[in-house]
Amino acid sequence: MTDLTLTLLVPLLGAILVMVAPWGERTSRPIGIVAALVSLGQSLFIVRDFDKSIGAFQMAVDRPWVPSLGIRFHLGVDGISLWLVLLTTLMVFLTLLSPQAMGLHKTRSREFTVAILVLEAGMLGTFLAVDLFAFYVFWELMLIPMYFIIGIWGGERRLYAAIKFVIFTLVGSLLMLAAILYLYAQVHAVTGQWTFDYATWATITLPRGPELLCFLAFTLAFMIKVPLVPLHTWLPDAHVEAPTGGSVILAAVLLKFGAYGFLRFALPFFPLAAQQTAPIIAWLAVAGIIFGALMAWVQDDVKKLVAYSSVSHLGFVVLGILVLSQKGIQGGIFQMLAHGISTGGLFLAVGILYDRRHTRRLSDFGGLWKPMPVFGACFLVMVLASAGLPGLCGFVGEFLVLLGTFTAGKDWQASGLAAPMFAHPALLAGLAAFAVILAAVYLLTTYQRVMFGPLDKPENRDPQVRDLGLRERLVFAVLVLTALVMGMAPQPILDRTAASVQELTANYRFRLAEARANPIGPARRVVAGKPSARPASAPAGTARPF
Amino acid sequence: MTIAAAQIVALSPLLMITGVGCLALLLDTMAKGRAPALWLAQLGCVAALLAVANQWMGSGSSQPIWSGMLIVDRMALFLDGVLIIAALATLLVAAPFMREHEFEHGEHYALVLFATAGGMTVVHATHLLSLLIGIETMSLAAYLLVASWRRQPAGAEGALKYLLLGAFAAGFLVYGTALVYGTTGGEMSYAGIAARAARAADNPLFIMGAYFLLTGMLFKIAAVPFHMWAPDAYEGAPTPVTGLMASGIKVAAVGGLVRLLGSAFANPGLALGHAGWVRVLGGIAFATMTWGNLAALRQENVKRMLAYSSIAHAGYLMIGLVALGQKVDGAQPALLVYLAAYAATTLGVFTVVAWVGRRDDERLLIRDWAGMARTRPAVALAMTVLLLSLAGVPPTGGFFGKFYVFRAAMQSPDLAWLVVAAVLNSLVSVYYYLRIVVAMYFRDPVRPWQPFPSVGMAIVLFVTVVVVLALGVVPRPVVELAAGGLVTHW
Repeated sequence: MTDLTLTLLVPLLGAILVMVAPWGERTSRPIGIVAALVSLGQSLFIVRDFDKSIGAFQMAVDRPWVPSLGIRFHLGVDGISLWLVLLTTLMVFLTLLSPQAMGLHKTRSREFTVAILVLEAGMLGTFLAVDLFAFYVFWELMLIPMYFIIGIWGGERRLYAAIKFVIFTLVGSLLMLAAILYLYAQVHAVTGQWTFDYATWATITLPRGPELLCFLAFTLAFMIKVPLVPLHTWLPDAHVEAPTGGSVILAAVLLKFGAYGFLRFALPFFPLAAQQTAPIIAWLAVAGIIFGALMAWVQDDVKKLVAYSSVSHLGFVVLGILVLSQKGIQGGIFQMLAHGISTGGLFLAVGILYDRRHTRRLSDFGGLWKPMPVFGACFLVMVLASAGLPGLCGFVGEFLVLLGTFTAGKDWQASGLAAPMFAHPALLAGLAAFAVILAAVYLLTTYQRVMFGPLDKPENRDPQVRDLGLRERLVFAVLVLTALVMGMAPQPILDRTAASVQELTANYRFRLAEARANPIGPARRVVAGKPSARPASAPAGTARPF
Repeated sequence: MTIAAAQIVALSPLLMITGVGCLALLLDTMAKGRAPALWLAQLGCVAALLAVANQWMGSGSSQPIWSGMLIVDRMALFLDGVLIIAALATLLVAAPFMREHEFEHGEHYALVLFATAGGMTVVHATHLLSLLIGIETMSLAAYLLVASWRRQPAGAEGALKYLLLGAFAAGFLVYGTALVYGTTGGEMSYAGIAARAARAADNPLFIMGAYFLLTGMLFKIAAVPFHMWAPDAYEGAPTPVTGLMASGIKVAAVGGLVRLLGSAFANPGLALGHAGWVRVLGGIAFATMTWGNLAALRQENVKRMLAYSSIAHAGYLMIGLVALGQKVDGAQPALLVYLAAYAATTLGVFTVVAWVGRRDDERLLIRDWAGMARTRPAVALAMTVLLLSLAGVPPTGGFFGKFYVFRAAMQSPDLAWLVVAAVLNSLVSVYYYLRIVVAMYFRDPVRPWQPFPSVGMAIVLFVTVVVVLALGVVPRPVVELAAGGLVTHW
């Protein structure tokens, strides 16, 4: 049996060890790499021990934290979070392993390692938390390390980017905190007990007005993280200014929390509000897919280009989740993983280019295949994976999402969803598919302009422009292999997400039907099998309007 | 009135602090140097802490003292503990600070104890007269402490403003007491006022008296619009005294308000309704936190910024007081936990502020803090943790305190707007707290950092950071203490 607490503790202990280690700068990175490796090993054990037939949370750790307030230290893993945990530990390990993680900065590697490890603990905790209080604590724990990573090791405009990142993120998460507190009081009013337990919260249906407000508060927090157009403006700044390691973690893992939170909390807690606002969010997602692709096309800064391609790719995730069918959500989850690998790899590649040439302008490159053939091959795989070439990881997710969206109308009817999520799913699928072509265009042009053509610029012939070193080869070997395996054999991944997604969609359908049937009901508990169950102990008149 | 031995024992923490304060004053005139008075004061604090613990273990029920002038209960003992620890921390920081800046007086130590004794009287008070005596003892000692740094012109200015406005506030308190006394038929004990309140609630003079008392107390916690003295007094005072004002004195005043509002004026006719203090205090809470945070944005001086931050925190605390008036579940323990977390954080922050300055170079501007993380990484990290606690970012005590208070307020639908406003206020506050972090971590040092070796400051800083983190990560013990119980689990 694996212990999830340990998974969280290892990075934290590693961070403390790095902090107090008397040898300082020189040993900090190796200690960090070992801690990240242990963490990666543990998450592999979690995958091994995971029972794919169970949809609910597994390997639960449930200890009282503050019992009088109903706060429990409750962790668990299910099909939705399982692979994201592995992605987190893998990308943190690769980041620490990569020599370019701190960008061009060569000093303060001790603080950098501490920040990355604390960030890892926060990310893992957020994915694993089953208690809403614990979730919020871990969610906020991610903020400060990332702020430091951008602010200390970032580029010229790092202060601006760092504070923008913090303000955007905090606007969302503080409103979410208010909504969490409101729900917490409502859950108490309905069930008579103070609890932050996820399973209990997912059975509470709020009255209409408060439900919509709380949904918007949660969704704002998540949509800023994704980010969804028009809330994306912090992302290009953060990505461009962040050091390579920061960009990799930001793209590969942090952005996933938006989609993850939306799927895990916003949909199950507020079924009716989600269904009512789904058309708007779906159109924003598609707008983001196309807008991101178009913006990426016209960028001259490679890092900004990859950042905008992120906006585009994550639109697919949101669209897939909103389709609320097995195909769509599983595709969305797969797309999150694939985007983590491919975009993480692209940011690493950009980091290596920047390290060699000290520029990120497309027009400064050209003909780099000659001095850097190994890099060229690895970069190519990442580019193709990102463009969604069949056989690589990017294809599976995008295909499932598009298929799911295209057939959504039929799926909704077949599964008995009380109302369609949004109109014209086929149109949306068509528009999104158009962006896949755009992605191929901008990604391949970029690759061509960087790697091919004559090696005519003298700076590119400098001996400084050398091929991958040993550690870089190791990092890219892992990424290329993962992209290939995920593309060739996606089934083991999909298998393990199936049960949880099924449970989530079934619960959603049930609760949406109940909410639509009682449009002006008070706050109530809705449990499958016994609709509108409300214990007699609940105080009367608790469902006053907001 | 009988004075039984049991009552003396019950009040032993308060009596010890008062007595040791007097002895320290005497000792200072007789002994050579300042050290004996300092040591006596510190030992007195430790002894009083033990006495608090002894009382806590000894009795579970509350005990009226001296015909209901004072009360000894778990809440008072909890706040006694916070106040004494604040005093001890102030003594530990003040001694090296005064030595560095060459204005060491032995009376200083006695005055810290007198201010603390006044504060303890306030949280024990269940009678308007004992409240008044406590407030005045505390304030008079504080005026002197603010003015004690005679070479500092800002100190005299701050002290004068503090004294004048404080005297004004005292006037409000006395006048309010007189009106309440007259309209309730000669009642000054909280229980007596509460018993007559239902009948007197229609009497405009009684309501005026209640609001006069409230105004006097709001002066003391520096609520908007009665906050004008605070930035000047905080800036002018020697930094350890500023720490004491922001922690101990604020804790005592809020504790006094909890008692006054929670018992004497808890009557629904007085609390709720159109002109009830719940609504009024809700508006003041909003104004206080918003104005405090907005004004803090523009400060370049760290002490002034922290003064406005302290005003903003008074606003958050008043949300708890408003929740208390709505009689929701857990408002009082929430306030106590918030106060404990806030006091620990503030003491730590002002310790760092006291630490950075050397003689004739206080380094009070934010830009003076540039690059601290390079040469003093441990202090910079500690300061960051403390600032995040002030901003209410988990996993710190400041976050947990806020969460607990907001939880209380959220139970009443009328207060949801205040919680949302408070949450958005924290966003504003993050911006200015992070300005200090930016200077410490992201900027290059402009001037060399000279270490200020002081064991006392190091101890205070270490303990406060540990406490702040512990309150955020394992809040269970303090939650159980604040709820009036014994700690059962760690």
